Amino acid sequence: MALRVNHTTTYTYSEPVSICHTEVCLKPRTSAAQTLLEHELVIVPAPEVSIARQDYFGNTVTYFSSQEPHLKLTITAHSVVEVHTSDPLQPRLTPKWEQVSEEVRHYDRAETFDALQFVFESPRVRTAREFADYARPSFPAGRPLLEGALDLCGRIYKEFKYDQRATTVSTPVDEVLRIRHGVCQDFAHLMIACLRSIGLPARYVSGYLRSGRNSVGSEASHAWASVFCSGFGWLDLDPTNNLMPAANHVTAAWGRDYSDVSPVKGVALGGGEQAIKVGVDVAPVPVQY
Amino acid sequence: MNLAGTEAREEFAAAWRYLSNPAFHDELIAANGNVRPQWHPLVDSLLEIGPEGLARRWQEGRRLVHENGITYNVYGDPQSTDRPWPLDPIPLVIGAGEWRTIEAAMRQRATLLNAILTDLYGPQHLLREGLLPPELVFRHTGFLRPCAGLSVPKGINLHIYAADLARSPDGQWWVIADRTQAPSGAGYALENRLVASRVLPDVFARAHVRGMASFFQTYRDTLRGIVPEHRENPRIVLLTPGPYNETYFEHAFLARYLGYTLVEGGDLTVRENRVYLKTLGGLLPVDLIVRRQDDSFCDPLELRGDSMLGVPGLVEAVRAGHVAVANALGTGLIESAAPAAFLPILCRHILGEDLKIPTIATWWCGQPRPFEFVASHLDNVVIKPTFPGRNDHPIFGARLSVKERAQLLERMRASPADFVAQEQVSLSTVPVWDDGRLEPRHFVLRIYVVAAGDSYAVMPGGLTRVTTSLDSLVVSMQRGGGSKDTWVIGDGPTPEFSLLQAPAVPLEVSRATFDLPSRVADNLFWLGRNVERIEVAVRVTRAILSRLYSESDPASAAGRDAGVRILAALGYLSTDLPAAADRTARLQAELLGMIYDSATPTSLGSNLHQVRHLAWLLRDRISADAWRILNHFDQQFSNPAPPEPLRVSGALNLLDNAIMTLSAFSGLVMESMTRGHGWRFLDIGRRLERADQMVELIRHGLGLVPTDESGRLEALLEIADSFLTYRSRYLTSMQPDLVLDLLLLDEANPRSAAFQLARLREHIEHMPESRSSIHRPAEWRLAVELLTEVQLAEVAELARLDPSGRLSNLDKLLMRLAGELRRLSEAITRSYFSHALASRQLHAR
Repeated sequence: MALRVNHTTTYTYSEPVSICHTEVCLKPRTSAAQTLLEHELVIVPAPEVSIARQDYFGNTVTYFSSQEPHLKLTITAHSVVEVHTSDPLQPRLTPKWEQVSEEVRHYDRAETFDALQFVFESPRVRTAREFADYARPSFPAGRPLLEGALDLCGRIYKEFKYDQRATTVSTPVDEVLRIRHGVCQDFAHLMIACLRSIGLPARYVSGYLRSGRNSVGSEASHAWASVFCSGFGWLDLDPTNNLMPAANHVTAAWGRDYSDVSPVKGVALGGGEQAIKVGVDVAPVPVQY
Repeated sequence: MNLAGTEAREEFAAAWRYLSNPAFHDELIAANGNVRPQWHPLVDSLLEIGPEGLARRWQEGRRLVHENGITYNVYGDPQSTDRPWPLDPIPLVIGAGEWRTIEAAMRQRATLLNAILTDLYGPQHLLREGLLPPELVFRHTGFLRPCAGLSVPKGINLHIYAADLARSPDGQWWVIADRTQAPSGAGYALENRLVASRVLPDVFARAHVRGMASFFQTYRDTLRGIVPEHRENPRIVLLTPGPYNETYFEHAFLARYLGYTLVEGGDLTVRENRVYLKTLGGLLPVDLIVRRQDDSFCDPLELRGDSMLGVPGLVEAVRAGHVAVANALGTGLIESAAPAAFLPILCRHILGEDLKIPTIATWWCGQPRPFEFVASHLDNVVIKPTFPGRNDHPIFGARLSVKERAQLLERMRASPADFVAQEQVSLSTVPVWDDGRLEPRHFVLRIYVVAAGDSYAVMPGGLTRVTTSLDSLVVSMQRGGGSKDTWVIGDGPTPEFSLLQAPAVPLEVSRATFDLPSRVADNLFWLGRNVERIEVAVRVTRAILSRLYSESDPASAAGRDAGVRILAALGYLSTDLPAAADRTARLQAELLGMIYDSATPTSLGSNLHQVRHLAWLLRDRISADAWRILNHFDQQFSNPAPPEPLRVSGALNLLDNAIMTLSAFSGLVMESMTRGHGWRFLDIGRRLERADQMVELIRHGLGLVPTDESGRLEALLEIADSFLTYRSRYLTSMQPDLVLDLLLLDEANPRSAAFQLARLREHIEHMPESRSSIHRPAEWRLAVELLTEVQLAEVAELARLDPSGRLSNLDKLLMRLAGELRRLSEAITRSYFSHALASRQLHAR
C-alpha cells in the first residue's frame, strides 16, 4: 500500500523578513520498511539557494535561503511512500536485553558500532538513574529485548496523558517524566531516555501517521522511538499509540533526538511577531506500476 | 664575569636575595647552586643593573603596558573590561639545545592531533578499532556532526595549535593541556616581548634571543594558502565573540598586526552560500574567517541554535567551498583532557613513533581499571570533567576533606565516564620580580605551533604564566596569575625583526576605507559625539569655577549663573541652585563632586570612562598614540581630590589639562585617520554634537529675557572658545546680536553652529546612501534644511525683542534646530546602523 503525505508549514510575520536561512528534514527515507515513490518540496517565495544533502545519519536535509523580503513563508513537502508490510515479530524470540547491551558495548561489528552512538545521552535526551528506575520493571533479568520494550511502550501509553498544552517544543524530558503529560515528541524522548539509561541504543524517528479512528498524532508530524536489537536491526515502537509501526507509519528521518531531525528549523532576520501553522495530511493512494 | 665562580654566585645571591626552593626544579639555579648557563647573559646584566636599576626600568615597562592598553578581561567582573595585563620583567630563558627537543615534540604533537581530527570527522578508524573510546567523541558536544565530511583545504584542521608545558622536579617536560579550538595568548606573547625587550634592551641583543615575527609571517602565509577563492586578493577577517571576551584585547591586537579586519558575527552575513562583510559601502565577499570564537557558536542554523554570536548559513557556505575557516570547525573536539590518555597509543599507531614529550599521566574513568586506580589514589591526582560545559574547575584530590572526598567518589561512581584524572605534578619554578626582590613561582609555558606546508612551525618563545604564590597550584589568568616573556636562545646572533612595524607582507591599504563594518561606524559616531559632549561640559565647568567667588562683581556673577543654568540643562548639576545663603558653598560642593567623584554617573570621570570604553571597542581603528592620550586622561580623573585649600585650584588645573588632552585626542584621531567613511562618521558625531551643544548654550546661556548682558555674553564666548575672535573683530563692548552672529550664523567660526551644519551637509553629501540613490535619503534633506535655515536667518531679527521683551524669534529658531538635529541623528542611525536587527529562530514540529 502507498501513502501520500502533504506536510505544509507556514510562517506569517507582522513585519517583513529580509533574509532567512532554513534547513528542512522532510524527505522520507527509503528503507527495508518503505520505498519513497515521489517527493517534491515547494517553497514560496522561491528561494535563491536550495541545496539538498545527506546528513550525518543519512537523512536528506535541504538548506535554502530566501533573500526577497517576505511576510509569509510556506514550505510544502509532497511525498508518496510505499509501505511494506512484513510478518509480525515474535517478541520472545528476540535476544535477552542484557546481551544486546553487552554486544553494543563491545562494538566489534559494523552493525553494533553504528548502534553505539545511540546509547549515549544527546542534546535533548539525558541519561540518568531516574529513567533507569522507570524502565527497570519492564526489563527484569533475562527478558527478551522486544518483550521488555513493548512493555515499556505500553506503560508509557497508559501512565502518561496525551496533552498538547502540557509541553512545548523545548520541554526537557525530565519534566515530562515528572508531569506525566506530553505529546508524541515527549513520549519518544522519554522512551529513548529509559532505554539508554539501561544501556540500550535507542534513536528518535520523525515521520507521519495515517489518520485513523484511534490513532493520535496524525494532525501534525509524528515521532516515535526505535531500539536496536542485534540480529533484528532497529525495531520501532510508538509509545503515543502503544504499537509497533507498520502499514500506517511513514518514516521521514532518524537521529539521536528531535534536535537532529527537526522537520523545519531556521534563522530569520526581522519579522516582528511571528505565527506558525503546520498542516499534515496522510491518505492512502493506489499504487500505479 | 664568570658566573660559575663562587664569588659571582654569592654576589648575585646577596644582591638579589633569590632563594630557590629545593623541592622543585628551578629554571635559574641548578641543584648545585650554580646559575644555569642559558641564564648567564641575563644574570650578568641583572648584576650590572642591580635591583634599584631594575625597579626604575620596570616603571617604564609598566607604563608601556598601561599605555599600550594591554588588557585582559575577567569574567563575572563588570568593572574589569580593562584589567591591565600582569607582566613580570624577568623572562623565562630556554637554552638552544633544550628548545630543539621542545620544538620537535610540538611539531609531532600538532601533526598527530591534526591526523586524529581528520579521522574522527572522516572514516573513524580510530574508534572502530578501539584505539580511542567512541564515548569520548559521540558524547562530546564539540563533535559537530554537520562538520563531518566537510572539505578542509589541504587537510589542515589545526592552523594554529598550542600546548601547555610544565616541568617536573626531575627536569622532564610534560604536556599538561592541548589547545586546539582557538588558542589564545600568542598576541600577548608578542606584547610581552615588545615590553620586555624595551626594559632589557642590551641583554636582549647580547643573549641572541630568537625573534618571533617569522612565526606570525608563517601563520599569515599558511592562512593565505587555504583561501578557496580570490586567491590573488583575498579578504580575510578575524572573528571575535566581542569586547566582553576575556582576550578581546588580543583579538584586536592580532587583527591589526596581521592586517585582517576584526569582525563580530553580526558583521557577517551569508547570501547565496557566500559570506559577506556588511560595510557602509555594501556587502563585500569574505574568503577566510580566522576564528577566535568557539566553533559550536559559529552558525546558529546548523550548530548551536542558541548562539547569538554566529553567522547563520556559515557551515553551508564552508560546505560549498566558498569560504574557509581556521581553525577548522570541529577542532574543539580534542581539546579536553580525556583524549590525552590515549595519545601514546594513537601516536604509535598513526606516526609509528613514541611521543617526544609525554602527556602528564592521565586516566579516563570511563574504563573500569583506570577508575579503580584513580579512586584509590585521589590524593595524587587532579580531577577534571571529561566533557566541556559542566563544572570546569579542576578538583585537587589532596585538598578535599573526608566528606568532600566521599561526595566526589559517589559522583564518580554514578557516572565515571564524566571524569578524567591527571597526575598532580610539582611544577618547576622561575624567579618573579616581587617588590624589590626575586621570588620563585610555579609556571606553565604555553607554546604555539602553526601549520607550515606539510608540517608545523613552532614559535620560538611562548607565553609563560606564573602562579600568584608558591602554594598556588593553578596557573590561570582568570584567577589573577601573572605572565612573562619567554626567551629562546639562538645558536648565534639572530636577524633583527622589528615587531613594532607592520608585517613584511604589504597590507592592502586601498581596501581599508571600504571595509568599515556598520557596527564600527556606529561606535565611531558615538565616540565623536561623546568626546565633544565632555569638552563642552569641561568648558562650562571651568567657566563657573573661575567665577565662583564673584558675589561682589555682578558681571562675573551673571556669567557664573549662565554657566550654572547651562550645566543644569545639560543634566550635570542636579538642580538650578536656589538663592540660599550657602549657595556658593553648595555650588562648589556639587562642582567638585562632578569633577572628583567618578562613581556618580553624571560626573566627568564617569563620562570619560564611557568615552574610553567606546575607544576601547574601536581598538583596531584608533591609533596607539590616541589611545595613550585617552588612557592618560582617564587616569588623571581617577586620582583622589587634593586637600581642601587646593581643591578649587586643583580642579581648575585638571580642567585646563582636560581641554588640552581632549584637543590632542581629537587632533590626533582626526590627523591619523584616512579620510574614509570611518573618519566621516567620527566627524559627523562630533559636528552633530557641537551644533546641538551650541544651540543649548545659546538657549540657556543667553536666556529668553536678556539682562546683565555683558557678563553672560562674555561667559558664553569663553565657553564657546570664541572670545578672542570676538575681541579682535569688534573691539567693542558685548552686544547680543554680534555674539549671536559669531556663535550661531558665522560659517567662518569653527565653533559656530553654522560651521558644524556646513560640515555635516558636506559629509552627508559623501555618504554611500546619498551618492547611490536618486531619491535623497532623509538625512540628506535634514542636513540641507538645517544649513539653509541658519543661512537664511537674519541676526537683527533674531536679536529683536518681542512686545513682551523676549527673544522669541531666536527661541523659535533654536527650538527648530534642536528638533531637526535630533531627527538628523535618528535618520543617520536608521540608514547606517540598523545592523542590530535581531535575528530569531524558527522552529516547527
